[in-house]
Amino acid sequence: MATRKARQGEMLESVYSVLAMVFVLFACVELCDAATVLDVYRLIQYDLAGSPFGSRFASLNHHASSSAFAPGVDLSRSVVISPVRELNLTVLREFIEMRRPLGGLLFLLPKHFDRSGRQDAEEGDEVEEGKLRNTLAELEDLLIHASLPYPVYFAFENDKVAEILADVRRNDASSQPATATTGGFKLLVSTSEPKKLASTPITNIQGWLPGLKADDDVNQLPTIAIVASYDTFGAAPALAVGSDSNGSGVAALLELARLFSRLYSNSKTRGRFNLLFGLTSGGPYNYDGTSKWLRSLDQRLRESIDYAVCLNSIGSWNNELWIHVSKPPENAYVKQVFEGFSDTAKDLGVKVGLKHKKINISNPRVAWEHEQFSRLRVTAVTVSELSVAPELLQNSGGLHDSREFLSESSVIKSVKLVAETLARHIYGQQGKNIEIFADGSSLAVNPSYISAWLDFLSQTPRVAPFFVKNDPLIASLKKELAEHNVEVNVHQDVLDGTFTFYDSTKAQLNIYQVASVAFDLLLLLVVGSYLILLFSFLFITTRGLDDLIGLFRRPPSRKVKTA
Amino acid sequence: MTVFHFFNCAILTFGPHAVYYSATPLSEYDTLGTCIKAALVYLGTALVKLVCLATFLKVSENDTFDPYQELLKALIGFIDVAGLYFALTQLTHRNISQNHKFQAVGLGWAFADSVLHRLAPLWVGARGLEFTWEYVLQGLEANANLVFTVSLAAMGSLMWLRKSKPRALIPLIYACAGILATMPSITSYLRRSLGWRLPEVVGFELSASLVMAIISWQLFSACQRPLV
Repeated sequence: MATRKARQGEMLESVYSVLAMVFVLFACVELCDAATVLDVYRLIQYDLAGSPFGSRFASLNHHASSSAFAPGVDLSRSVVISPVRELNLTVLREFIEMRRPLGGLLFLLPKHFDRSGRQDAEEGDEVEEGKLRNTLAELEDLLIHASLPYPVYFAFENDKVAEILADVRRNDASSQPATATTGGFKLLVSTSEPKKLASTPITNIQGWLPGLKADDDVNQLPTIAIVASYDTFGAAPALAVGSDSNGSGVAALLELARLFSRLYSNSKTRGRFNLLFGLTSGGPYNYDGTSKWLRSLDQRLRESIDYAVCLNSIGSWNNELWIHVSKPPENAYVKQVFEGFSDTAKDLGVKVGLKHKKINISNPRVAWEHEQFSRLRVTAVTVSELSVAPELLQNSGGLHDSREFLSESSVIKSVKLVAETLARHIYGQQGKNIEIFADGSSLAVNPSYISAWLDFLSQTPRVAPFFVKNDPLIASLKKELAEHNVEVNVHQDVLDGTFTFYDSTKAQLNIYQVASVAFDLLLLLVVGSYLILLFSFLFITTRGLDDLIGLFRRPPSRKVKTA
Repeated sequence: MTVFHFFNCAILTFGPHAVYYSATPLSEYDTLGTCIKAALVYLGTALVKLVCLATFLKVSENDTFDPYQELLKALIGFIDVAGLYFALTQLTHRNISQNHKFQAVGLGWAFADSVLHRLAPLWVGARGLEFTWEYVLQGLEANANLVFTVSLAAMGSLMWLRKSKPRALIPLIYACAGILATMPSITSYLRRSLGWRLPEVVGFELSASLVMAIISWQLFSACQRPLV
């Protein structure tokens, strides 16, 4: 009986060990999550005249870290997750300038910048929003003009990512940054290396509203051109929707086309001017598309252009709009055009200012669209809320340029101003306070039409190199212009070779919770000792089961020895 | 390091079967043939079971516990018992003792079950980058299953092969075998109806397997005693 008791004691011991293991496992079980998949948008990668810019890599396979670029920490094998809301730009700038190695960079954009989730976004603090917008603009500027030898991605914040970030932060605070030996989270983007895009297509869309020609008139009618560039450039090409630059201009142009098509459809109100509407591509790249389009136009048509009005960023001004010209203000044509605008502006209760910027022919930089006209000796102005000329790739519709910073009323005011000015010019009513497009009349500006187009454009990234063949955006712009114009032509060309772009703008990020090597070793140890324990236990007991008499007679000490 | 994790889970899942075979006298008497036969019987039983399940069970869209369906499932589960009966009594085994026969049959049965049910998910899942406890728990479940199967085989051998046993113990043996045979339904009930998660279910299975092992062991020894 004593031996049985001893054996039972042994069995209890093994039971305890199993129970203890179960409890240990129970304690750990709370830690586990499933893999998370996240849509990420890669920073643009391009070469400008041979020198590399942007994020030079696409595939990512490193552990997550939340380290705020602290000096002395080796980050070459970790991905830094950085919410833009808490970003310290000076530290980041220093980090980039010192060219320190980094495994990868993931920026978390605030949730309400997400186009899909805009409806349920709560109204944030205005000041906070403005600050965020400035940070984004600066960040974008910094990233676009740096060459980063690691993958850089943007993603939108969500609850899961926030949880993971909190976890990563907790880990980072408690110990050294995550590596293979300490576990943590692994971020994985598996894409092939980005490839060069063969060429950047440029598609210009041109609409034509012919004026009424008197029977005895042999001369060609003068033409007024209304032009807006529709494509964008931004740090994340898949997010470069450019609501203001130049979505607002495109929406305004379409509305102008609609208004004038109503006037021109009736021969009584058809003006003695042809109207040329141009939606041009290549805007961020020195208005290369505009230049190519103008050169492709019939020379007689080009010479018949009385003046051209370019619309650029007219969606978020409060009080003053600027008319940019490249001929001196004393020039008779410029004077005439500006007077037309300022008279109308006075009647509408807004202010317009004149800005003159000389063209330097030797400088390849073209800051305003009208400069391309001026270079071909066509009088042209740009209507814009910006008072100073943007630098190359600046203000071209990046991340910060989203719908909620746009005011529809500004676009409506701009449309009214341009429409009235043009109408007064066309019908020879300069200097008279008449309102052709009065609110409530059949010719009123249609706010819902503008708003719908702004919404659509604010959801459509429009970076020219990434347009697919027969892009739906271009098709819909063409269709819309064809609704209101007698003739619509599409002009195709390619961007000149100074810019080279690389593909893979969008990817899927997998976030895995991984176990560390130390854990795997420990698990092996536990499993191994469990098996050894089981072996000895079975050996002891089955000796007994095998030989029942032996079980009761043999002394336990010998049994242990044989085990 | 994911292959490492796969390796860990694999030895946790299949190690106990090997250990059982080599540590007990099963290896001394070369009962591998019996194990393989039992595994083959398991395969046949599993096929029959699948056909029955596919014929009689509705596919439930939601993960709720439907008593009627579960009862049907438990009844189909008794096909297992029939398979075990066949393996224990109908198959010709080389002359090995009853003690070894039920162990070998139980072992072969449990091993085949583990290979069929756990190897593929393990191979697909445990080598993924994401770490989860699922496969470790599955390994533990395989251990519990081994204990259940061997206990059930022991009860089966008591019921069908041993003629002289204490009368008082017979209902106890049948009750014990019944509990062991309905164990899959019990765990399914816990998971579906009570909403237990995998770690809890596995914990229950492990403790239940220990209890059942002790009970069936005691029963077995009690039945052996009159022979002494």
